[in-house]
Amino acid sequence: MPDWRRVKDRLFTVVTVALALLAVAPLFHILATVVVRGGSVIVRGGVSFFTDPPAYPGSGELGGVGPALLGTLWLGLVTSLIGVPLALLTAIYIVEYRESRLARIARVFTSSLLEVPTVLIGMLVFLVVVVPMGRYSLAAGSIALAIVMLPYTVSYVERALEGVPRTYREAGYSIGMTRAQVVFQVVMGIASRGVAAGILIGVAKVLSETAPLLFTIGSARGSYPTGPQSLLEPGDALPLLIFQFAQTPYSNWQDLAWGAALLLTLIILAIFALLRLLFREVKL
Amino acid sequence: MEPVEVKVSDLNVWIGGSHILKDVSMKAPPGAVTAVMGPSGSGKSTLIRVINRLIDLIPGARVEGKVLLGSLDALRADPYEVRRRTGMVFQEPNPFPHMTIYDNVAIGPRIHGLARGEELDRLVEWALKMAHLWDEVKDRLRDYPHQLSGGQKQRLSLARALALKPRVLLLDEPTANIDPVSTVKIERSIMEYAKTTMATVIIVTHTPQQAARISDHILFIYQGRVVEYGPTREVVLHPRHELTRKFLGGEV
Repeated sequence: MPDWRRVKDRLFTVVTVALALLAVAPLFHILATVVVRGGSVIVRGGVSFFTDPPAYPGSGELGGVGPALLGTLWLGLVTSLIGVPLALLTAIYIVEYRESRLARIARVFTSSLLEVPTVLIGMLVFLVVVVPMGRYSLAAGSIALAIVMLPYTVSYVERALEGVPRTYREAGYSIGMTRAQVVFQVVMGIASRGVAAGILIGVAKVLSETAPLLFTIGSARGSYPTGPQSLLEPGDALPLLIFQFAQTPYSNWQDLAWGAALLLTLIILAIFALLRLLFREVKL
Repeated sequence: MEPVEVKVSDLNVWIGGSHILKDVSMKAPPGAVTAVMGPSGSGKSTLIRVINRLIDLIPGARVEGKVLLGSLDALRADPYEVRRRTGMVFQEPNPFPHMTIYDNVAIGPRIHGLARGEELDRLVEWALKMAHLWDEVKDRLRDYPHQLSGGQKQRLSLARALALKPRVLLLDEPTANIDPVSTVKIERSIMEYAKTTMATVIIVTHTPQQAARISDHILFIYQGRVVEYGPTREVVLHPRHELTRKFLGGEV
Protein backbone atom coordinates (compact mmCIF):
# COMPACT_ATOMS: atom_id res chain seq x y z
CA MET A 1 0.00 0.00 0.00
CA PRO A 2 1.44 3.38 -0.99
CA ASP A 3 2.30 5.86 1.70
CA TRP A 4 -0.12 8.66 0.77
CA ARG A 5 1.51 11.23 2.97
CA ARG A 6 4.78 10.79 1.16
CA VAL A 7 3.11 10.90 -2.21
CA LYS A 8 1.24 14.09 -1.35
CA ASP A 9 4.43 15.67 -0.02
CA ARG A 10 6.28 14.82 -3.23
CA LEU A 11 3.44 16.05 -5.36
CA PHE A 12 3.35 19.32 -3.48
CA THR A 13 7.09 19.85 -3.98
CA VAL A 14 6.91 19.07 -7.68
CA VAL A 15 3.97 21.40 -8.26
CA THR A 16 5.59 24.25 -6.31
CA VAL A 17 8.87 23.98 -8.19
CA ALA A 18 7.06 23.74 -11.53
CA LEU A 19 4.98 26.84 -10.83
CA ALA A 20 8.01 28.77 -9.65
CA LEU A 21 9.84 27.87 -12.84
CA LEU A 22 6.79 28.90 -14.86
CA ALA A 23 6.82 32.26 -13.11
CA VAL A 24 10.48 33.05 -13.79
CA ALA A 25 10.61 31.48 -17.24
CA PRO A 26 9.31 34.58 -19.07
CA LEU A 27 11.94 36.69 -17.34
CA PHE A 28 14.72 34.40 -18.50
CA HIS A 29 13.19 34.25 -21.93
CA ILE A 30 13.15 38.03 -22.19
CA LEU A 31 16.69 38.38 -20.86
CA ALA A 32 18.01 35.64 -23.14
CA THR A 33 16.28 37.11 -26.18
CA VAL A 34 17.56 40.60 -25.43
CA VAL A 35 21.10 39.33 -24.91
CA VAL A 36 21.16 37.19 -28.07
CA ARG A 37 19.41 39.56 -30.45
CA GLY A 38 20.75 42.77 -28.96
CA GLY A 39 24.23 41.32 -28.57
CA SER A 40 24.51 40.43 -32.24
CA VAL A 41 23.40 43.94 -33.24
CA ILE A 42 25.93 45.62 -30.96
CA VAL A 43 28.72 43.35 -32.22
CA ARG A 44 27.76 44.13 -35.82
CA GLY A 45 27.61 47.86 -35.17
CA GLY A 46 30.79 48.04 -33.12
CA VAL A 47 31.79 51.39 -31.65
CA SER A 48 29.56 53.29 -34.06
CA PHE A 49 26.51 51.67 -32.45
CA PHE A 50 27.23 53.79 -29.38
CA THR A 51 28.18 56.95 -31.21
CA ASP A 52 26.31 57.28 -34.53
CA PRO A 53 22.78 58.48 -35.12
CA PRO A 54 20.39 55.90 -36.61
CA ALA A 55 20.77 55.23 -40.34
CA TYR A 56 17.91 56.01 -42.77
CA PRO A 57 15.01 53.61 -42.40
CA GLY A 58 15.27 50.64 -44.71
CA SER A 59 18.69 51.71 -45.95
CA GLY A 60 20.29 48.43 -45.00
CA GLU A 61 22.83 50.26 -42.90
CA LEU A 62 22.61 50.20 -39.14
CA GLY A 63 23.93 53.43 -37.72
CA GLY A 64 23.71 53.73 -33.94
CA VAL A 65 21.88 55.06 -30.94
CA GLY A 66 24.39 57.76 -29.96
CA PRO A 67 21.97 60.65 -29.47
CA ALA A 68 19.52 58.47 -27.52
CA LEU A 69 22.28 57.11 -25.27
CA LEU A 70 23.56 60.61 -24.56
CA GLY A 71 19.98 61.77 -24.03
CA THR A 72 19.34 59.01 -21.51
CA LEU A 73 22.50 59.93 -19.61
CA TRP A 74 21.45 63.59 -19.53
CA LEU A 75 17.97 62.65 -18.42
CA GLY A 76 19.45 60.49 -15.64
CA LEU A 77 21.67 63.32 -14.46
CA VAL A 78 19.11 66.12 -14.56
CA THR A 79 16.32 63.96 -13.16
CA SER A 80 18.59 63.07 -10.24
CA LEU A 81 19.49 66.72 -9.69
CA ILE A 82 15.80 67.61 -9.47
CA GLY A 83 14.39 64.43 -7.98
CA VAL A 84 16.95 63.29 -5.41
CA PRO A 85 17.03 66.40 -3.20
CA LEU A 86 13.25 66.67 -3.42
CA ALA A 87 12.75 63.00 -2.54
CA LEU A 88 15.32 63.07 0.29
CA LEU A 89 13.88 66.16 1.90
CA THR A 90 10.33 64.83 1.54
CA ALA A 91 11.29 61.52 3.15
CA ILE A 92 13.17 63.26 5.96
CA TYR A 93 10.22 65.54 6.57
CA ILE A 94 7.76 62.65 6.62
CA VAL A 95 9.86 60.68 9.09
CA GLU A 96 11.20 63.40 11.37
CA TYR A 97 8.04 65.46 11.59
CA ARG A 98 5.61 62.56 11.45
CA GLU A 99 3.35 64.21 13.99
CA SER A 100 2.62 67.20 11.80
CA ARG A 101 -0.42 67.34 9.60
CA LEU A 102 1.63 68.38 6.57
CA ALA A 103 3.84 65.30 6.95
CA ARG A 104 0.81 63.05 6.96
CA ILE A 105 -0.54 64.78 3.87
CA ALA A 106 2.85 64.47 2.15
CA ARG A 107 2.91 60.76 2.94
CA VAL A 108 -0.51 60.17 1.44
CA PHE A 109 0.31 62.29 -1.61
CA THR A 110 3.58 60.60 -2.45
CA SER A 111 2.11 57.14 -2.06
CA SER A 112 -0.87 58.06 -4.25
CA LEU A 113 1.56 59.35 -6.86
CA LEU A 114 2.68 55.73 -7.16
CA GLU A 115 -0.77 54.86 -8.49
CA VAL A 116 -0.92 57.59 -11.13
CA PRO A 117 -0.25 56.18 -14.62
CA THR A 118 3.05 57.61 -15.79
CA VAL A 119 1.58 58.59 -19.12
CA LEU A 120 -0.65 61.04 -17.25
CA ILE A 121 2.41 62.57 -15.66
CA GLY A 122 3.82 63.02 -19.16
CA MET A 123 0.62 64.73 -20.25
CA LEU A 124 0.65 66.99 -17.21
CA VAL A 125 4.19 68.11 -17.95
CA PHE A 126 3.22 68.59 -21.59
CA LEU A 127 0.51 71.03 -20.50
CA VAL A 128 2.50 72.79 -17.81
CA VAL A 129 5.99 72.89 -19.30
CA VAL A 130 6.04 71.96 -22.98
CA VAL A 131 3.15 74.13 -24.15
CA PRO A 132 4.29 77.33 -22.40
CA MET A 133 7.89 76.76 -23.60
CA GLY A 134 6.65 76.16 -27.10
CA ARG A 135 8.74 73.06 -27.66
CA TYR A 136 9.70 69.63 -26.49
CA SER A 137 12.84 69.46 -24.42
CA LEU A 138 15.05 67.15 -22.35
CA ALA A 139 14.37 69.46 -19.41
CA ALA A 140 10.64 68.81 -19.67
CA GLY A 141 11.37 65.07 -19.82
CA SER A 142 13.54 65.35 -16.72
CA ILE A 143 10.76 67.09 -14.82
CA ALA A 144 8.32 64.34 -15.78
CA LEU A 145 10.81 61.64 -14.77
CA ALA A 146 11.55 63.37 -11.47
CA ILE A 147 7.85 63.25 -10.64
CA VAL A 148 7.78 59.55 -11.51
CA MET A 149 10.87 58.94 -9.40
CA LEU A 150 9.62 60.79 -6.34
CA PRO A 151 7.26 58.21 -4.79
CA TYR A 152 9.67 55.31 -5.31
CA THR A 153 12.64 57.04 -3.76
CA VAL A 154 10.58 58.65 -1.00
CA SER A 155 9.08 55.36 0.14
CA TYR A 156 12.43 53.54 0.06
CA VAL A 157 14.27 56.30 1.91
CA GLU A 158 11.38 56.68 4.34
CA ARG A 159 11.60 53.01 5.26
CA ALA A 160 15.38 53.20 5.59
CA LEU A 161 15.18 56.20 7.93
CA GLU A 162 12.42 54.64 9.99
CA GLY A 163 14.56 51.54 10.42
CA VAL A 164 17.12 53.49 12.45
CA PRO A 165 16.47 52.69 16.12
CA ARG A 166 15.28 55.61 18.24
CA THR A 167 18.14 55.19 20.69
CA TYR A 168 20.66 56.58 18.15
CA ARG A 169 18.56 59.70 17.68
CA GLU A 170 18.44 60.12 21.46
CA ALA A 171 22.20 59.63 21.66
CA GLY A 172 22.68 62.35 19.06
CA TYR A 173 20.45 64.81 20.88
CA SER A 174 22.05 63.91 24.20
CA ILE A 175 25.42 65.30 23.08
CA GLY A 176 23.77 68.53 22.00
CA MET A 177 23.25 67.85 18.31
CA THR A 178 20.69 69.94 16.49
CA ARG A 179 17.87 68.25 14.63
CA ALA A 180 19.70 68.75 11.34
CA GLN A 181 22.88 67.23 12.75
CA VAL A 182 20.95 64.24 14.07
CA VAL A 183 19.31 63.74 10.68
CA PHE A 184 22.35 64.19 8.49
CA GLN A 185 25.17 62.89 10.69
CA VAL A 186 23.42 60.13 12.58
CA VAL A 187 20.24 58.90 10.92
CA MET A 188 21.36 59.26 7.29
CA GLY A 189 24.75 57.82 8.17
CA ILE A 190 23.28 54.70 9.70
CA ALA A 191 20.71 54.35 6.93
CA SER A 192 23.18 55.19 4.16
CA ARG A 193 22.73 51.94 2.29
CA GLY A 194 18.96 52.14 2.33
CA VAL A 195 19.10 55.77 1.26
CA ALA A 196 21.48 54.98 -1.60
CA ALA A 197 19.29 52.05 -2.61
CA GLY A 198 16.25 54.32 -2.70
CA ILE A 199 18.04 56.83 -4.91
CA LEU A 200 19.50 54.28 -7.31
CA ILE A 201 16.29 52.28 -7.57
CA GLY A 202 14.49 55.51 -8.39
CA VAL A 203 17.06 56.42 -11.04
CA ALA A 204 17.01 52.92 -12.53
CA LYS A 205 13.23 53.01 -12.60
CA VAL A 206 13.01 56.29 -14.51
CA LEU A 207 15.83 55.49 -16.93
CA SER A 208 13.70 52.71 -18.33
CA GLU A 209 10.45 54.70 -18.39
CA THR A 210 8.91 55.45 -21.78
CA ALA A 211 5.48 56.90 -21.11
CA PRO A 212 6.55 60.15 -19.38
CA LEU A 213 8.79 60.92 -22.36
CA LEU A 214 6.15 60.44 -25.08
CA PHE A 215 4.78 63.97 -24.79
CA THR A 216 7.83 65.70 -23.42
CA ILE A 217 11.18 65.18 -25.15
CA GLY A 218 10.12 64.99 -28.79
CA SER A 219 12.32 62.14 -30.12
CA ALA A 220 14.92 64.29 -31.89
CA ARG A 221 17.24 61.61 -33.19
CA GLY A 222 19.59 63.53 -35.41
CA SER A 223 21.45 65.82 -33.04
CA TYR A 224 23.56 65.21 -29.98
CA PRO A 225 22.74 66.87 -26.66
CA THR A 226 26.28 67.95 -25.94
CA GLY A 227 25.94 70.56 -23.23
CA PRO A 228 23.53 72.11 -20.79
CA GLN A 229 22.07 74.31 -23.51
CA SER A 230 20.78 71.15 -25.23
CA LEU A 231 18.49 70.58 -22.27
CA LEU A 232 16.14 73.21 -23.60
CA GLU A 233 15.96 71.46 -26.95
CA PRO A 234 14.21 68.29 -28.05
CA GLY A 235 16.15 65.09 -27.53
CA ASP A 236 15.90 61.33 -27.52
CA ALA A 237 16.22 58.52 -25.00
CA LEU A 238 16.82 54.78 -25.23
CA PRO A 239 13.40 53.55 -24.04
CA LEU A 240 11.62 55.97 -26.37
CA LEU A 241 13.76 54.82 -29.29
CA ILE A 242 13.02 51.19 -28.48
CA PHE A 243 9.30 51.87 -28.24
CA GLN A 244 9.15 53.72 -31.55
CA PHE A 245 11.66 51.71 -33.61
CA ALA A 246 10.22 48.35 -32.57
CA GLN A 247 6.93 49.37 -34.18
CA THR A 248 8.43 50.30 -37.55
CA PRO A 249 8.54 47.91 -40.50
CA TYR A 250 12.24 48.65 -41.13
CA SER A 251 14.55 45.82 -40.12
CA ASN A 252 17.55 48.08 -39.48
CA TRP A 253 15.51 50.15 -37.02
CA GLN A 254 14.15 47.01 -35.35
CA ASP A 255 17.74 45.87 -34.95
CA LEU A 256 18.66 49.18 -33.33
CA ALA A 257 15.77 48.70 -30.91
CA TRP A 258 17.16 45.28 -29.89
CA GLY A 259 20.62 46.68 -29.40
CA ALA A 260 19.25 49.60 -27.39
CA ALA A 261 17.27 47.17 -25.24
CA LEU A 262 20.44 45.30 -24.31
CA LEU A 263 22.29 48.55 -23.70
CA LEU A 264 19.55 49.83 -21.39
CA THR A 265 19.49 46.52 -19.52
CA LEU A 266 23.24 46.74 -19.00
CA ILE A 267 23.00 50.31 -17.72
CA ILE A 268 20.36 49.28 -15.16
CA LEU A 269 22.40 46.24 -14.08
CA ALA A 270 25.46 48.47 -13.71
CA ILE A 271 23.53 50.75 -11.36
CA PHE A 272 22.61 47.84 -9.11
CA ALA A 273 26.16 46.48 -9.22
CA LEU A 274 27.35 49.92 -8.15
CA LEU A 275 24.97 49.88 -5.21
CA ARG A 276 26.27 46.51 -4.02
CA LEU A 277 29.87 47.57 -4.45
CA LEU A 278 29.85 51.03 -2.95
CA PHE A 279 27.42 50.85 -0.07
CA ARG A 280 27.69 48.35 2.72
CA GLU A 281 25.17 47.64 5.38
CA VAL A 282 26.05 49.47 8.59
CA LYS A 283 26.27 46.79 11.27
CA LEU A 284 24.50 47.76 14.44
CA MET B 1 34.64 74.47 35.41
CA GLU B 2 32.36 75.27 38.27
CA PRO B 3 30.36 72.58 40.06
CA VAL B 4 26.69 72.46 39.23
CA GLU B 5 23.98 71.34 41.58
CA VAL B 6 20.87 69.79 40.06
CA LYS B 7 17.74 70.93 41.80
CA VAL B 8 14.28 69.72 40.84
CA SER B 9 11.23 71.29 42.46
CA ASP B 10 7.55 70.38 42.25
CA LEU B 11 7.99 68.52 39.00
CA ASN B 12 4.92 67.08 37.32
CA VAL B 13 5.04 65.23 34.02
CA TRP B 14 2.20 63.89 31.94
CA ILE B 15 2.67 61.71 28.88
CA GLY B 16 -0.45 61.27 26.83
CA GLY B 17 -3.13 61.03 29.48
CA SER B 18 -1.09 59.52 32.29
CA HIS B 19 0.50 61.35 35.16
CA ILE B 20 4.06 59.95 35.22
CA LEU B 21 5.80 62.14 37.81
CA LYS B 22 3.92 63.70 40.72
CA ASP B 23 5.27 66.66 42.68
CA VAL B 24 8.83 65.40 42.52
CA SER B 25 11.46 67.46 44.31
CA MET B 26 15.06 66.38 44.66
CA LYS B 27 18.63 67.56 44.76
CA ALA B 28 21.79 66.07 43.36
CA PRO B 29 24.98 67.68 44.67
CA PRO B 30 28.21 68.02 42.68
CA GLY B 31 31.10 65.64 43.31
CA ALA B 32 28.72 62.85 44.24
CA VAL B 33 26.66 60.06 42.74
CA THR B 34 22.92 60.20 43.27
CA ALA B 35 21.01 57.00 42.59
CA VAL B 36 17.40 57.11 41.47
CA MET B 37 15.87 53.76 42.28
CA GLY B 38 12.46 52.25 42.11
CA PRO B 39 10.55 49.47 40.39
CA SER B 40 10.17 49.62 36.63
CA GLY B 41 7.49 51.99 35.45
CA SER B 42 7.94 54.30 38.41
CA GLY B 43 9.09 57.25 36.29
CA LYS B 44 12.86 57.10 36.86
CA SER B 45 13.83 57.34 33.20
CA THR B 46 11.35 60.13 32.65
CA LEU B 47 12.93 62.10 35.49
CA ILE B 48 16.40 62.15 33.96
CA ARG B 49 14.95 62.83 30.51
CA VAL B 50 13.41 65.97 31.94
CA ILE B 51 16.76 67.07 33.31
CA ASN B 52 18.40 67.04 29.85
CA ARG B 53 15.20 67.88 27.95
CA LEU B 54 15.14 64.65 25.94
CA ILE B 55 11.53 64.67 27.15
CA ASP B 56 10.95 67.21 24.35
CA LEU B 57 11.27 64.34 21.85
CA ILE B 58 8.39 62.40 23.37
CA PRO B 59 5.14 63.29 21.64
CA GLY B 60 2.39 64.34 23.98
CA ALA B 61 4.64 65.00 26.99
CA ARG B 62 3.78 67.93 29.27
CA VAL B 63 6.11 69.19 31.99
CA GLU B 64 5.44 71.54 34.91
CA GLY B 65 7.77 72.59 37.68
CA LYS B 66 11.33 73.78 37.90
CA VAL B 67 14.68 72.19 37.09
CA LEU B 68 17.87 74.07 37.87
CA LEU B 69 21.33 73.06 36.66
CA GLY B 70 23.33 75.47 38.79
CA SER B 71 21.89 78.79 37.70
CA LEU B 72 20.53 77.49 34.39
CA ASP B 73 16.76 77.14 34.31
CA ALA B 74 16.68 73.90 32.32
CA LEU B 75 13.00 73.96 31.39
CA ARG B 76 13.20 77.51 30.05
CA ALA B 77 16.65 77.40 28.45
CA ASP B 78 17.50 76.35 24.91
CA PRO B 79 17.33 72.52 24.99
CA TYR B 80 20.51 72.22 22.91
CA GLU B 81 22.38 74.29 25.48
CA VAL B 82 21.03 72.09 28.29
CA ARG B 83 22.10 68.91 26.50
CA ARG B 84 25.55 70.24 25.73
CA ARG B 85 26.19 70.66 29.44
CA THR B 86 24.77 67.28 30.36
CA GLY B 87 25.93 63.86 29.23
CA MET B 88 23.80 60.77 29.03
CA VAL B 89 24.31 57.03 28.88
CA PHE B 90 21.34 54.89 27.92
CA GLN B 91 20.14 51.46 28.89
CA GLU B 92 21.09 49.88 25.59
CA PRO B 93 24.66 50.53 24.45
CA ASN B 94 24.32 52.87 21.46
CA PRO B 95 27.63 53.99 20.00
CA PHE B 96 27.04 55.27 16.47
CA PRO B 97 27.49 52.15 14.31
CA HIS B 98 28.64 54.06 11.22
CA MET B 99 31.47 55.86 13.01
CA THR B 100 34.81 54.49 14.12
CA ILE B 101 35.62 54.09 17.79
CA TYR B 102 37.69 57.28 17.62
CA ASP B 103 34.97 59.26 15.85
CA ASN B 104 32.36 58.12 18.33
CA VAL B 105 34.29 59.82 21.10
CA ALA B 106 35.39 62.78 18.99
CA ILE B 107 31.94 63.63 17.61
CA GLY B 108 30.80 65.69 20.61
CA PRO B 109 33.86 67.95 20.81
CA ARG B 110 33.83 68.22 17.00
CA ILE B 111 30.27 69.41 16.57
CA HIS B 112 30.76 71.98 19.30
CA GLY B 113 34.15 73.05 17.94
CA LEU B 114 35.92 72.36 21.23
CA ALA B 115 39.09 70.64 20.06
CA ARG B 116 40.92 69.39 17.01
CA GLY B 117 44.15 67.79 15.92
CA GLU B 118 46.39 66.62 18.72
CA GLU B 119 44.28 68.32 21.33
CA LEU B 120 41.31 66.22 20.16
CA ASP B 121 43.47 63.08 20.22
CA ARG B 122 44.36 63.78 23.84
CA LEU B 123 40.73 64.42 24.73
CA VAL B 124 39.65 61.14 23.11
CA GLU B 125 42.36 59.28 24.98
CA TRP B 126 41.35 60.93 28.25
CA ALA B 127 37.68 60.02 27.77
CA LEU B 128 38.47 56.41 26.83
CA LYS B 129 40.75 56.08 29.85
CA MET B 130 38.11 57.60 32.09
CA ALA B 131 35.65 54.99 30.77
CA HIS B 132 38.20 52.20 31.41
CA LEU B 133 38.16 51.23 27.75
CA TRP B 134 41.46 52.67 26.48
CA ASP B 135 43.63 49.59 27.01
CA GLU B 136 41.22 47.42 25.06
CA VAL B 137 40.80 49.70 22.04
CA LYS B 138 43.94 51.83 21.79
CA ASP B 139 45.27 49.75 18.88
CA ARG B 140 42.02 49.75 16.95
CA LEU B 141 40.62 53.22 17.19
CA ARG B 142 39.79 53.06 13.47
CA ASP B 143 37.61 49.98 13.85
CA TYR B 144 33.85 50.11 13.99
CA PRO B 145 31.97 49.44 17.21
CA HIS B 146 30.16 46.33 15.96
CA GLN B 147 33.32 44.37 16.72
CA LEU B 148 33.13 45.30 20.40
CA SER B 149 31.31 43.33 23.09
CA GLY B 150 28.15 44.73 24.64
CA GLY B 151 30.02 45.91 27.71
CA GLN B 152 32.72 47.57 25.62
CA LYS B 153 30.05 49.28 23.53
CA GLN B 154 28.51 50.65 26.68
CA ARG B 155 31.85 51.99 27.88
CA LEU B 156 32.29 53.57 24.45
CA SER B 157 28.89 55.26 24.89
CA LEU B 158 30.12 56.49 28.26
CA ALA B 159 33.34 57.82 26.72
CA ARG B 160 31.31 59.66 24.07
CA ALA B 161 29.39 61.41 26.83
CA LEU B 162 32.52 62.12 28.91
CA ALA B 163 34.38 63.70 25.99
CA LEU B 164 32.24 66.81 26.44
CA LYS B 165 33.24 66.90 30.12
CA PRO B 166 29.62 67.36 31.14
CA ARG B 167 29.00 69.02 34.48
CA VAL B 168 26.01 66.73 34.86
CA LEU B 169 26.19 63.06 33.87
CA LEU B 170 22.94 61.13 33.58
CA LEU B 171 22.81 57.36 33.32
CA ASP B 172 19.67 55.37 32.61
CA GLU B 173 20.23 51.83 33.93
CA PRO B 174 23.58 51.68 32.13
CA THR B 175 24.48 48.19 33.29
CA ALA B 176 21.11 46.48 32.94
CA ASN B 177 22.22 44.34 30.01
CA ILE B 178 25.97 44.32 30.60
CA ASP B 179 28.44 41.64 31.68
CA PRO B 180 29.75 41.78 35.28
CA VAL B 181 33.30 42.82 34.34
CA SER B 182 32.12 45.80 32.33
CA THR B 183 29.60 46.62 35.04
CA VAL B 184 32.39 46.95 37.59
CA LYS B 185 34.40 49.14 35.21
CA ILE B 186 31.45 51.38 34.45
CA GLU B 187 30.63 51.78 38.14
CA ARG B 188 34.24 52.68 38.88
CA SER B 189 34.32 55.22 36.04
CA ILE B 190 31.19 56.89 37.28
CA MET B 191 32.48 57.28 40.81
CA GLU B 192 35.89 58.50 39.65
CA TYR B 193 34.35 61.02 37.28
CA ALA B 194 32.17 62.45 40.03
CA LYS B 195 35.02 62.71 42.56
CA THR B 196 37.84 63.90 40.31
CA THR B 197 35.93 66.53 38.31
CA MET B 198 33.30 67.57 40.86
CA ALA B 199 30.63 66.54 38.36
CA THR B 200 27.07 65.80 39.36
CA VAL B 201 26.18 62.22 38.54
CA ILE B 202 22.65 60.87 38.54
CA ILE B 203 22.18 57.18 37.86
CA VAL B 204 18.90 55.39 37.42
CA THR B 205 19.01 51.84 38.69
CA HIS B 206 16.48 49.17 39.46
CA THR B 207 18.80 47.23 41.76
CA PRO B 208 19.26 48.45 45.35
CA GLN B 209 22.64 46.65 45.38
CA GLN B 210 24.03 48.91 42.70
CA ALA B 211 22.65 51.98 44.44
CA ALA B 212 24.30 50.83 47.66
CA ARG B 213 27.65 50.14 45.93
CA ILE B 214 28.16 53.40 44.14
CA SER B 215 25.89 56.17 45.32
CA ASP B 216 26.23 58.85 47.95
CA HIS B 217 22.55 59.67 47.97
CA ILE B 218 19.48 57.66 47.10
CA LEU B 219 16.19 58.87 45.76
CA PHE B 220 13.50 56.21 45.93
CA ILE B 221 10.56 56.74 43.58
CA TYR B 222 7.38 54.70 43.60
CA GLN B 223 4.55 55.24 41.12
CA GLY B 224 5.81 58.69 40.20
CA ARG B 225 6.19 59.98 43.76
CA VAL B 226 9.28 60.47 45.86
CA VAL B 227 9.07 58.06 48.75
CA GLU B 228 12.43 58.63 50.35
CA TYR B 229 15.53 60.70 49.80
CA GLY B 230 18.71 60.69 51.85
CA PRO B 231 22.34 59.64 52.22
CA THR B 232 22.82 56.13 50.85
CA ARG B 233 23.93 54.67 54.18
CA GLU B 234 20.90 55.90 56.00
CA VAL B 235 18.41 54.89 53.34
CA VAL B 236 19.88 51.42 53.05
CA LEU B 237 20.43 50.74 56.73
CA HIS B 238 17.54 52.64 58.29
CA PRO B 239 14.82 53.16 55.71
CA ARG B 240 12.16 55.39 57.15
CA HIS B 241 9.39 54.25 54.91
CA GLU B 242 7.74 50.85 54.76
CA LEU B 243 7.81 50.86 50.91
CA THR B 244 11.56 51.46 50.88
CA ARG B 245 12.09 48.59 53.27
CA LYS B 246 10.06 46.32 51.03
CA PHE B 247 11.90 47.43 47.91
CA LEU B 248 15.28 46.85 49.52
CA GLY B 249 14.08 43.42 50.60
CA GLY B 250 13.03 42.63 47.06
CA GLU B 251 9.32 42.57 47.82
CA VAL B 252 8.14 45.41 45.58
